[in-house]
Amino acid sequence: MVEKLPGSRDFYDRIIRCNNCGFCEAACPIFKATRRSALNARGKMIILQDILADRQAICDELIETLFQCTFCSGCTTQCPAGVNVPEILRAVRKDMVNIGTCHAAFKGMDQVLDKHPNIYAAGERERFGRKVNQKAEIVFFMGCVGQYREEDAVEAALDVMDHLRVDYTLIEEVCCSGVLEDIGFAIHDDLVRKNVALVRSTGAKALVTGCPYCLRTFKHRAPYQPLRDLGLELLHISQFLTQFDFPVQTHLKVTYHDPCDLARHAGIYEAPRQTIKKIAPNFVELPNRRANSLCCGAGGGVRGAYPRNSLSMARQRLKEVEEVGADILLTECHSCVHNLSNARLRRQKFEIYTTSQFIRRLLEGQALVAANKAP
Amino acid sequence: MNSRIIEFLKATVGAAQVTNELIDLISHSTDASGFRHRPEVVVYATTTEQVSAILKMVHEERIPLTPRGAGTNVSGEAVPIKGGIVLDLSRMDQILEISLEDRVVVVQPGVIYADLNHQLAPLGFAFPPDPSSGKVATLGGNVATNAGGVRASKYGVTKDYVRGLQVVLPGGQVMRTGTRTMKSSSGFNLTQLFVGSEGTLGVITEITLKIAPKPTETYTAMATFQRLVDAGRAVSQIMRSGAVPSVLEIVEKNCIKAINQNTDLNLPEVEAVLLTETDGFVKEEALFQMNKIIETLRANGALEVRWAETAAEAEALWSARKSSYPVISRLNNTTFGEDITVPLSKVPDMLKALEELGAKYDLILPTVGHLGDGNMHPHFSYDRTNPDEVQRVKKAEKELYHKTIELGGTLSGEHGIGLAKAPFMSLEHDPVAMETMRALKKMFDPHNVLNPGKMNLEACHG
Repeated sequence: MVEKLPGSRDFYDRIIRCNNCGFCEAACPIFKATRRSALNARGKMIILQDILADRQAICDELIETLFQCTFCSGCTTQCPAGVNVPEILRAVRKDMVNIGTCHAAFKGMDQVLDKHPNIYAAGERERFGRKVNQKAEIVFFMGCVGQYREEDAVEAALDVMDHLRVDYTLIEEVCCSGVLEDIGFAIHDDLVRKNVALVRSTGAKALVTGCPYCLRTFKHRAPYQPLRDLGLELLHISQFLTQFDFPVQTHLKVTYHDPCDLARHAGIYEAPRQTIKKIAPNFVELPNRRANSLCCGAGGGVRGAYPRNSLSMARQRLKEVEEVGADILLTECHSCVHNLSNARLRRQKFEIYTTSQFIRRLLEGQALVAANKAP
Repeated sequence: MNSRIIEFLKATVGAAQVTNELIDLISHSTDASGFRHRPEVVVYATTTEQVSAILKMVHEERIPLTPRGAGTNVSGEAVPIKGGIVLDLSRMDQILEISLEDRVVVVQPGVIYADLNHQLAPLGFAFPPDPSSGKVATLGGNVATNAGGVRASKYGVTKDYVRGLQVVLPGGQVMRTGTRTMKSSSGFNLTQLFVGSEGTLGVITEITLKIAPKPTETYTAMATFQRLVDAGRAVSQIMRSGAVPSVLEIVEKNCIKAINQNTDLNLPEVEAVLLTETDGFVKEEALFQMNKIIETLRANGALEVRWAETAAEAEALWSARKSSYPVISRLNNTTFGEDITVPLSKVPDMLKALEELGAKYDLILPTVGHLGDGNMHPHFSYDRTNPDEVQRVKKAEKELYHKTIELGGTLSGEHGIGLAKAPFMSLEHDPVAMETMRALKKMFDPHNVLNPGKMNLEACHG
């Protein structure tokens, strides 16, 4: 069996390094939501150890766990042996896809991107009445979730940039396709070429996005080297906003959810807090925060493939918001804001926004949003 | 497993709480030990009645059943080595009562150690044993293995806090043991029979634990030693002096070397570092104990003694000890932590023996330990794909156990016997003691259905 798994074999030493201590259970959002140890990182590693020792063949029954991980990396922060489970799973899934064992929903995602420029196979392109494919200082990259599921979060970021009189343009962007590498497939080169060409033609000095996953893809995935070669700065909106002050403040109790892709994966903890603390002096931290943040359950394709568990994970995160008694939950990821909003129960009266959405709300309250939209 | 049994289990606990899906069987096939055997079915029970019905059935049908909490144990206690059923109690996780007046809590076995202390902390109380797996380990598992931790020299281990239990016996009878009082001289101490019994006698479904007020003041200090035996001697002398450390930990040279290679802590390259903490409810109390300890450390060859004046400084001193396990775990693809414990006066001899053992078998034995209670965790760090190294580890391990017993020690201070140390039980326990344990096992579990194969309780293992 091992010889059929060239990718996983490269990780052999790391897979057997997992000593099955189970400390990862303290951080695994799927385990915490389901109390099913097979879905925890240790459960996955025990299975992989059996596979590599030829005690277990690859079969469809293993999909349930090996393709069910939000890639939040909470396990990695807890692991005494330093085993990076998401990295291993990425290789394992590639091998599984190659031998024809794959979650149908994930195969579907790859096929969608063969035919469509976005992960939702949506036809209509949202331009938010802004200029597109123009020369500008900054390219704002919306991301699929922002463009097709959390449009208001994108529009709020644009409104805030308008208020700040930032020179930016949208582009006729296509899916970054980074998620495909997590689910056993590969980034689509045609999509990369299109995005790079569009960014290049704007002459922008910086690319700003509200999607931390797109940002990670641009910054770290090999196929996006040509984008990095353009030499422009790659920033998350939360980093971009730190250079500005806002003439608004709230007395409400505000808390912040660290998105895994922005926090653990990119190490961006301070930037969002810097802005939030300026506008919300009554800021409180959640019990699990920063590197110990608890995943919202949306990542790694889990929201699409395992919606029930995805919502359970979001609900357990929202319990922490209740625990600290916050009025407002802010976060800096379109997928997080989407999943957390969908999971909120009626009795939970707090509101959930991206920081830009909340800033816009405060600005609107004082009629400070500039009408600076392109014709 | 035949379908009649599966149907019975589903009818008892609900279909959603019974699984024979491949991924669940594999994930329940092991714990943090190297042993592995798949069960035929996994059942999650959430009430005592369910556990009772299941234990009645396995007793009648002669089906092996292995109880399990979080499966963080390191000696194979939760591995269903004879197959059959794994009874997973991790979803039986309610804190039933916190009574500060009675100084007890009543909990179900699946409550996670850290979750209980999270509830107790704002009240100024704690359940002190503090096992290093506390963030994930269950209280049922703590009781079943008599778990300890870094503060055992002052605060004891799990057994010192268990006041009473509800236990289901093979056959399904439900028994209450002990009381919720602080003392009791009434009848046999059945409670303690189940503490550390590793699920071989009955299944614990409710635990009454004594809790303790949490000290508010601490002092922390670190001392370095050029020679390992000096550190050991200092420990013996501290205990002799009458001082009461709440923590007295050692990090020895192989650990220090590994820490320096893998972190930025830049520890002094000495043979041993001792970390000590004292505590109390007023500063003077903690300071009095710390002064006494430091005096003894200096008198016994400490090179440097560093004090922590602030919480941040204390954290820095702790970092060497806390980084030990992660660093040891990364040295090689296999790490097995031993758990030997010797009388306090024999700590220097044991440390010396560990040095000799490493040299004799050409192995590195990075060691940390709770020296305040004589408990040491030498770690065998090796490549399990190298048969020669595996052989050397096996020989060294056997010799380690012999040396421990020779010094008047015990095979396990806090991890338990399980499968890993089962073959060595007769080393420590004389034939009469072994026969007594086997007779007790037979009395509680005549058909040997409960966690069979553990602790060398089967006569054929002799």
